[in-house]
Amino acid sequence: MNVIPPKKTTEKKKLPIFCNQCVAGPDLMMVEVEDGIATRIDSNYKIGDAHPGGGPVCVKAFGLIQKTYNPNRIKQPMKRTNPKKGREHDPDFVPISWDEALDTVAAKIREVMDSGPTDESGFPRIAATFGGGGTPTQYMGTFPALLRAFGNVDFGFGAGQGVKCYHSEHVYGELWHRAFILTPDTPLTDYIISFGHNGDASGGVAGVKRHADGRARGLKRVQVEPHLSVTGALAAEWIPIKPKTDAAFLYALIHRILIERDWRAICDMPFLQFDTSAPYLVGPNGYFLRDPENRKPLIYDLADETAKPFDAEIADPAMEGTFTVSGLEAGPDGEDWTHTGVVAAPAHQKLIDFIRPYSPEWAERECDASAARMRQVADEFIAAARVGETIEIEGRTLPYRPVAVMLGKTVNNGWGGYNTCWARTQLMCLVGGLEVPGGMLGTMVKLNRPAQERYLSAKPGEDGFMEYPFNATSKNEWQRNPHIRNAYRTLVPIVGNSPWSPALGPAHLPWLFLKEPPDHWPKPTRPDLWFCYRTNPAISSWNAPEVAERVAEFPFTVAFAYVPDETNHMADILLPEATDLESLQLIPLSNKSVEQMWTARGWTIRQPAVGGVVDCKDMTDIATELAKRAGLLEKYNEGINRGAGGARLVCDDYDYGLDESVAHPVEEIWDRVAKAASHELTHGEQVVGIDWFKENGYMLRPFPQLLWYLYPYLKDRGMRFEHPYQERILRHGTQLARRLHEIGVQWWDRQLEEYEPLPTYKPFPDLWIEHVRDAGKDPDDYPLWAITARSMQYSWGANAGIPMINEVAQNVTGHKGVIINRQTAKKLGLVEGDPVVLESVTGQTKGYAVVREGIRPDTVLMIGQFDHWKMPYAKDLKLPSLNSLTPLSLNLTDASGSGADLCRVRVIKGEGPRRQSS
Amino acid sequence: MTARWGMTVDVNRCVGCQTCTVACKHANDTVPHVQWRRVLDVETGKYPDVERLFLVVGCQHCAEPPCVPVCPTGATAQRADGLVTMDYDTCIGCASCAVACPYQARTLVHDREWYYGTETLQERYVDHPERMGVAQKCTFCNTRVDDGLEAGLKPGIDPDATPACAAACIADAIKFGDFNDPESIVSKLVSEKPSFQIHAELGTDPQIKYLYDTPTVPGRDPDAADTDDEALSDPENPMVGPLQTFWDMRAAMNFIMGGVGAGLVIAAYLSYLIAGIGDEAMLGLLMIAGLIIAVGLFFVWLKIGRKLRAPLVILRPNTSWMSREVYAVGLFYLAAIADWFWPGAVLHLLTAVAAALFLYCQVRILHAGMGIPAWRVPVMPALLFASGLLEGAGLLAVIYAFADMPANGWAGLFEWGALTAVATGALWLVYLVKAKSWGIPPLSRAVLNRVAPWVILGGHAAPLALFAAALFAQPVSLFIPGLAGVLTVAGGAFWKAVVITRAAHQQGFALAKMPRRGSGRYAAPSLVEAA
Repeated sequence: MNVIPPKKTTEKKKLPIFCNQCVAGPDLMMVEVEDGIATRIDSNYKIGDAHPGGGPVCVKAFGLIQKTYNPNRIKQPMKRTNPKKGREHDPDFVPISWDEALDTVAAKIREVMDSGPTDESGFPRIAATFGGGGTPTQYMGTFPALLRAFGNVDFGFGAGQGVKCYHSEHVYGELWHRAFILTPDTPLTDYIISFGHNGDASGGVAGVKRHADGRARGLKRVQVEPHLSVTGALAAEWIPIKPKTDAAFLYALIHRILIERDWRAICDMPFLQFDTSAPYLVGPNGYFLRDPENRKPLIYDLADETAKPFDAEIADPAMEGTFTVSGLEAGPDGEDWTHTGVVAAPAHQKLIDFIRPYSPEWAERECDASAARMRQVADEFIAAARVGETIEIEGRTLPYRPVAVMLGKTVNNGWGGYNTCWARTQLMCLVGGLEVPGGMLGTMVKLNRPAQERYLSAKPGEDGFMEYPFNATSKNEWQRNPHIRNAYRTLVPIVGNSPWSPALGPAHLPWLFLKEPPDHWPKPTRPDLWFCYRTNPAISSWNAPEVAERVAEFPFTVAFAYVPDETNHMADILLPEATDLESLQLIPLSNKSVEQMWTARGWTIRQPAVGGVVDCKDMTDIATELAKRAGLLEKYNEGINRGAGGARLVCDDYDYGLDESVAHPVEEIWDRVAKAASHELTHGEQVVGIDWFKENGYMLRPFPQLLWYLYPYLKDRGMRFEHPYQERILRHGTQLARRLHEIGVQWWDRQLEEYEPLPTYKPFPDLWIEHVRDAGKDPDDYPLWAITARSMQYSWGANAGIPMINEVAQNVTGHKGVIINRQTAKKLGLVEGDPVVLESVTGQTKGYAVVREGIRPDTVLMIGQFDHWKMPYAKDLKLPSLNSLTPLSLNLTDASGSGADLCRVRVIKGEGPRRQSS
Repeated sequence: MTARWGMTVDVNRCVGCQTCTVACKHANDTVPHVQWRRVLDVETGKYPDVERLFLVVGCQHCAEPPCVPVCPTGATAQRADGLVTMDYDTCIGCASCAVACPYQARTLVHDREWYYGTETLQERYVDHPERMGVAQKCTFCNTRVDDGLEAGLKPGIDPDATPACAAACIADAIKFGDFNDPESIVSKLVSEKPSFQIHAELGTDPQIKYLYDTPTVPGRDPDAADTDDEALSDPENPMVGPLQTFWDMRAAMNFIMGGVGAGLVIAAYLSYLIAGIGDEAMLGLLMIAGLIIAVGLFFVWLKIGRKLRAPLVILRPNTSWMSREVYAVGLFYLAAIADWFWPGAVLHLLTAVAAALFLYCQVRILHAGMGIPAWRVPVMPALLFASGLLEGAGLLAVIYAFADMPANGWAGLFEWGALTAVATGALWLVYLVKAKSWGIPPLSRAVLNRVAPWVILGGHAAPLALFAAALFAQPVSLFIPGLAGVLTVAGGAFWKAVVITRAAHQQGFALAKMPRRGSGRYAAPSLVEAA
C-alpha cells in the first residue's frame, strides 16, 4: 500500500501558517513545501518583536509534518457496522464516500431537529464537545455557524474542562478584574510567588521568552509546589508543599503582612482605601451597611466621623476598628435589615479578624513549608512591591508594583480554588498591584462581554464595582430547570451565561449524572446526536475509562477524526477533516490568553500547504455541505455574515456579506472574512482578500500598552475592585441554597457552604482522604498523593501519536513514566525503570518508575494525559495517566463546578521487565 | 579578521522545551533518535535539597577539536572560522572522531529507521543516504551561515543566517555569533557575565560558553552531591556518559591481534638476536605475526561504516594515528616480504621496527579517544605497548612449546616475558589506582575493578611466576612457559576487550559552575533579612 514515488524536486516554496495548537497561541510558522510535499517547519521570524515571543514557534509546531503524513490517519469517511459499542467491541468501520457520509449526518441532523429542540428532560437533542481550552475554534472554520443554525446545542459535556483548566481563576478572575487568565506584567515584574504555576511548560513562547528575559534582568521567582516542575527548575527557590494546601501558605503571607507587620506602613493605603471595597462597612448580618436612601454601601470618614456613600467625597476612609452607625443591609431575596446605631466594621477590619488565626506556624503544620520561609517570602513580596512608586506608560503615570502571585492548575481548581484565588487577589490588593504596571493583569474575558475588548467589558455596576453577569438566583429569575445537562445556569451563578459558560460549568457532571442520576432533577438523557472535534474525553476526562463507557452509550456520534482514538472508537460516522497544514482559516492574532499582551493586533492565516494526503475535507466545506444537505443553509450563511468566521461580514461601515441562499466554497467564504477583518482592523484603509493573507501571512496594527491595564480605565470611571469582602457571593449562595432546598435538592449542600464572603480555610487534602473512606477503603492503603503536570511537548497538542514529539519529549524527565521520590521508591523496593501499578479507589494505571529527588516523598506525578488503548503509536508508549485514577465525584466538586487533578494512590511493583534504558 | 563562530547558552534562560532539538531535526533532516542538538534535564542533590537545570549540548565546535586530527581521511575538518565540518563523501565511518569527542556530539547510523516504522512521503523528501554509515554531528548549520553571509545577512542577528537551534530558541537561551567580533551578541554576553566551558580542562577550548548567573541567582561551585560517585553511577543521570557503542569487538580485535602480532615480531627478533633462532624460524614467526595482524585488520575493516572507502584511510598521516598505523603496517608487510626474498639481519630489524611502530600507532589510536576517559589516561600508551610486548612474548612461548626448540632457543625469552609481565602488571596497577583521579567515571571503574583481579593475577602475576619458574626450572618444562604464554595472550585479549567494549563509558557532562537555585541549601539568597 505504502508506495512512495521517488523524490524529484521541481518546486520549493514556503507558506506562512499559524500554529494555535495550545491556548498560548497563535504563533506563526513557515511550512516548506517541495513538489507539494510539506518537508519542514520553521518559525516565521518576519513577525519579530511584533509578537511578544519574538517570533519563534515552540516544539509542538514541529510535529505538524509528521501529523500530516501519519500513516495511521483515517483516510476517508467511515461508518460503523458493528452496532455494539464499547472498548471491547471492534467498531468494524468501513469506508464510505463523502456523499454518503454527509447525507447520513445531514439526515440525522434533520431527523433530530424535526423531533423538537429539546428532549423529554428539556435538554438539547444535539450536543457537541470540543477539547483544548477553546483551541478547536481556531481550526473548525465555519463550523460554529452550523452549530448556531442548529439553534439548540448542549456544549456542556466536558472533555476535561474544569479539570484541566484554571477554573477558579477563570470565574473569580473575571469577577474581580476581568481576568479569565491572569498573568504577571512580566516585562516589568521583579518578583513572583508561583504556586505550582507551570508557565515555562504551558505559557507558550511569549511566556517563556518574557520570563527568561525577566530572569536575565533579575526577576526572582519562588516556586511553591509538590514537585520540582520545569518552571520550578528555573525559579530561584523551590519550596516543596503538601498538595492542595496552597491556601494555607497564602493565608500565612497575608497574616504576616496584616498581623505581624505594620500594614499601614507597608501596604498601598490609597489603593485599598479608594480603589477597593476594603473600607466598606459590613453590618451585623454580614452584608454591606448601606445608605437607606440610595442603598449605596457606606464608608466611615474619619475626617468628620461620618458614614458616607462610597462615592461621596471621603477624606479619610476608616479601615479598622468598629463604628456605631445607621443604615440598612440588603440581604438575600430582597430582604432588608434596617439598623439604627448598629456596630459595623470596615471590610478591611473583617479581613484582619479573619486572617488572625492563620499564622505562619499554623500554616507550617498544614502545608509543610517552614514558617520562617513563609515570613521571608511575605517580606520579599512587600519589599519588591515598591509601594508608592509610579511609572509612565504611554504618557500616563500609573502605580508601579512589580510583584505577582501565580497559581497553577490543581491549585486553583476545585476545592480550595476559591481560597487561593481570593488570597492571591488579596495579596495583590494589599500592595496595590492589581491591573497596574508590573503587577497582576488579566489578558482576556470569556464570561463578560464584549469578548473582543476586555476593558470595554468593565462596565460600572452596583456598589461601585464592575457589572457582572451572575446567573440569577432570585426566586423569580432562577432557572429552575437546567437548560443543558451540566446545569451551569442553575447551579453556578458565577459562571455567567456567555458562549463559554457551558464549558466553564460543571462539565464533568453530565457524565456522572448519566451513571448516578441525582434526586429531584430532570432525568439525565443522552444526546440524540453528538459531535466531537479535536477532543478525546475518553482519555482526557477524570475517570476516563468510565467516561468511555458513557460515550459508548450515546446513540449517534459523529466524530471528526484524524486517527483512530479512544473516543471515536465509539462513533457512528468518522469524518476525516483537513488538518493543520491542509485547511484554510483566518483568525485574530493578539491579546488573548496566556501572557499574550501585545502591542499590536491583527489577523493571521492557516492555509493548505499540502493536499491529497488522505481523502479529507476542510471543516468549512464540511459545515457548508451539512448545512446545505440539512436544509440549514440560510441560517448557516447568516451566521457567517454575523461573524461566526471571526469577523462580521456586514456592519454599518462595510458589507462583504455572502448571499445567504447559496452554498459558497471555502475560498470565497474566507475571502469575505479577510476583507471584513482587514477593513475593520485598518478602518478601511487596507482592505485585502484571502490571497493577500496567503502571501503575507498576517496583518497587524498597533495596540496601546495602556490597555493592558484595567486600573486606569476603572479609575477614570470611578469603579473599585470588589475585594476583600464578597457580599455578592454570599447573597447568591444564600439565595441558591434556598432555591435548591425549595425543590428538595440536598446534594449540592457541600458546595453551597463555599459561598462565604471571606473564604474559610479547610483542610482540603482531607476531602480526598475522606473520598477513599467513602469508597469503603482504608486511607492507609492509599498513602500517596498522585498529581500531574503539563508538558510543553504535548499539552493541548493532541499529538500523543506523533513519534518525533515523543522522541524529543523523552529528553524531559517524566515522559517515561511515574515520577517518584528516590527514598519512597527505595522503601517500595523500586528502582528506575521498574514496572509499577498505581491504584486509586477509582481505577488503576500502569507505567514505569522514574526515580527523582525533585518530588515530595508523599507524592507521585504523571505528566500529561496518556494511557491510550486505541490511538496508534500512543498505545504502545505504555505511559500512565492520572485520568485513569481520578474519580468523577460530586463530593470532590466545588461550588464553581470543578474539581482537581488529584487523588490518593498506592504504588505497587508491576510485572514484566524493567524499561530499557534509553 | 576571520570570524570565530560560537554560541552562548544561558542556563537561567533555558526551560528544556526541546524546541532547539526539534528545530535542528527539521533543519538538518536527522533520522529517528539522532539529535545533533539536545537539552539534558539535569537534577542534582538529594531531597529536600535539590536543583534541576536544563543543559543544551551538542558539538562544541572546539577551537582545538580532538575529532579533527584523529580523522584518517580528512572528512572531519576545521574551517578558518572555527566551524568543525563533516564531508560525508569522504568519511569511512571508522568512528575515531566519535570516540575522540568528549561531548557525545557524534553519531553513526548504520541501519535506517523510519519514524512510523515505514517510510513516509515526507521522509523520502528529506532523506540523506550519504549520511548512512558515516559520522554525523552538528554543523552549526554552516550552510545557513554561509548562505546568509552571501546574502548579506548577519549570523546571530538574522534568523535565516543563524543556526536553526539558536534562531528557534524560544527563551533566547542560545545565542550565536562571532567571538572575534567584540560587538557580537556572544562577545558582549561573555564579557558582561561570567561563563564556563564544559570540560575546559581537556584543552579543547569549546566554542559554546555557558552563562550561569543572574542578578538574583548567583553562581555556585558544584558541591559533593553534584559530583559524587553515587550520582554519577546512575545510568539514567543524563550527566553520566553512556557506554560507547562505536567500537565493538571487531575494533577490539584489531587491538588484540595487532598487539599480540606486533609483540610477536619484537619477541621473535629478540629471540633471533639472543637465542640465534636463525632466518628460517624468524621468517616463520613473521608469517604467523603477519597473519595475526591481518586478521585484526580484517576485523576492523568489517566494522567501518563505508567499507569500500577503506583506502581513503591513508589520507591523513600528518595527524591521524590511524593513517599512520596503515603506513606502519604497510612498512611491516613490505619489510617482511623483502625479508622472505632476502632474509637477513637488516630486514629482520626493519620488520621489528615496523612492528613496533605499528604497535605504537595502535596505542596512540586508542589513547586519542579523548571522549572515553578510560582510554585517554596517561598510562594507556605505555600499558598497551607493554601488554603487546608481553603478549608477543607469551605467544612466542606457546609457539616454542609446540615447536621442537633446542634448549638454547629459549634464551632470553623467560626474562623478556618476566620483564614485560612486571611492566604490564605494574602499569595496570597504576591504571587502577589512578583511575578516579584521572577522571575515569564510576561506571567504567566498576567494570575495571571487577576484572582487575583476573587481569592482574591471571594475566600478569601468574605468567610472571611461570616465566620466573621457567628460568629456574631445569630442564625446561614445555608446560610452564606454554601456560605462561597462553595466560598472557588470553589476559591481554580479555582486558583489551573489556576496556574497549565494557569499561568504555563516554565522557559525561560536568558543570564548572552552577546557578544557585533550587530547594533547601541550594535556594538563591533571600532578598530580605530573615524575620
